[in-house]
Amino acid sequence: MIELSITGTNAITFPHLEVWDWRIVIYLFLGGLSAGIMVMYSIANLHIPKQPVEEIAPCIRAPFISFIILAVGAQFIIFDLGSPFHLYWGYLTFNPLSLMSWGTWGVPAVLLANGLYILAVIPKEQRYRLKFPFLIKISEKLTLNMRPITKLNFALGIFLGIYTGVLLSSFSAIPLWNNATLPILFLVSALSSGAAMIVIIAKKAEIKFLFTKIDIWLIVAELVVIALFFYGLYSSPAPYKKAIAPFFSLTSEHFIFTIALIAIFLLLPLALRIKLGELKEFKDGFHGEFTKAQILRMNIAAILVLAGTLILRAAIVYAGQLTKLS
Amino acid sequence: MPRYVMVIDVERCIGCMACIVACKKENNVADGYFRTRVVEEVRGEFPYLRMELRSELCNHCENAPCIDACPTGASHRAKNGTVQIDKQKCIGCKACILACPYDARYSTPEGVADKCTFCEHRLKEGKKPACVETCLGKSRIFGDLDDPNSEVSQLLKKYDASVRLEFAGTSPRVFYINKKFAGGSL
Repeated sequence: MIELSITGTNAITFPHLEVWDWRIVIYLFLGGLSAGIMVMYSIANLHIPKQPVEEIAPCIRAPFISFIILAVGAQFIIFDLGSPFHLYWGYLTFNPLSLMSWGTWGVPAVLLANGLYILAVIPKEQRYRLKFPFLIKISEKLTLNMRPITKLNFALGIFLGIYTGVLLSSFSAIPLWNNATLPILFLVSALSSGAAMIVIIAKKAEIKFLFTKIDIWLIVAELVVIALFFYGLYSSPAPYKKAIAPFFSLTSEHFIFTIALIAIFLLLPLALRIKLGELKEFKDGFHGEFTKAQILRMNIAAILVLAGTLILRAAIVYAGQLTKLS
Repeated sequence: MPRYVMVIDVERCIGCMACIVACKKENNVADGYFRTRVVEEVRGEFPYLRMELRSELCNHCENAPCIDACPTGASHRAKNGTVQIDKQKCIGCKACILACPYDARYSTPEGVADKCTFCEHRLKEGKKPACVETCLGKSRIFGDLDDPNSEVSQLLKKYDASVRLEFAGTSPRVFYINKKFAGGSL
């Protein structure tokens, strides 16, 4: 038996860490979602070789939405800063070992690439909306480099998706986060949420169908990686094994994490089931338009995926801070 | 440059908590916040009990994860080898608090990170940290490990010292000795 009484504890670190809260959860969710959308719109444009810009044009909504999502998401981490007026120091230094430093530089870089893509993809007849002549000129020049810009967006989307996981996994003091599976899990769930978002926002039936198919594979991958994540920690030394206990506990303190895990394993397979149903319906190939009921079903499946992604991030951020290395 | 370390003789701690009070007074630590703490650990089953009083503070690690986690360079290694925080550079991202395996850091009411500095301002004046100066039982011993004649060098040569969470690989500069029991339960 061990009995501890401690004089001089700080509320932020005892009895468990209360350092990162819902603001970081929202930042990681929106960052991942934006990353997923970037990768997906890049795939949509790259999978058809040398597409003329006029045909790419309908994809402008996806990059615009990913830009807004990331810009809003970045505000949440700024809200979380204790001393935001010192933020400029982040841009006067670069610490390659600090994941926060990578984020400080990386998020604006991703926004810039996303912005370039938006300018490049605007169709000729819509360019007058840019208002400023210099923006119209830049847009005309960027259009000629559409494919390299798309490749850049793809690469930076992957970077951002992995980053949200590596940010957590870099903390060796936190056993639940400190493993190599977490960045892969966050990347896969980011890609899955991106595909789900494209299904919701796409107007073209073909695009909705394409991303429904892509999302099926991503959901399967996500469920497999979640299982591997927990098994990896279960088969690790004591502090790591202890870190997953909240997800399998029925105590009032930890039950919320058990519910979160159950919810993830209900929502994602349900979304998968709906999507597989759609696939079966169009096994002879997809022609024409969807009915309203079919679109509603697709959107419900996509919302389930987004909810699963948010719950996953919230559960991992909060549960991670309950267990320590000691 | 000196290599400052602290040796904590666990057996000599009487649990008076004067170190905590001295630290708060010396460093104007805000109400409800602490740079150092005393852990009272009781092990075993009655009547076979063993109590240990253990002071805990920033370990000024050689491989400090807080310095690696800091995006602005606010957490840095000072010329004297101690780990310090430049509060003007701290953005309050709290990454260092998460990175520290010893829970040595906290966020001040102003929103910046804070922790034990080994009373750097006193070291510059040639004095010892306030907690060491005030320790009634002489449990906290401070000095330069590079000086073979210093008290800390002599103690670490004589006794089997341990550090907290050695497996974390942070190479702490706060050592614990227990003259009664070899090893310890850190």
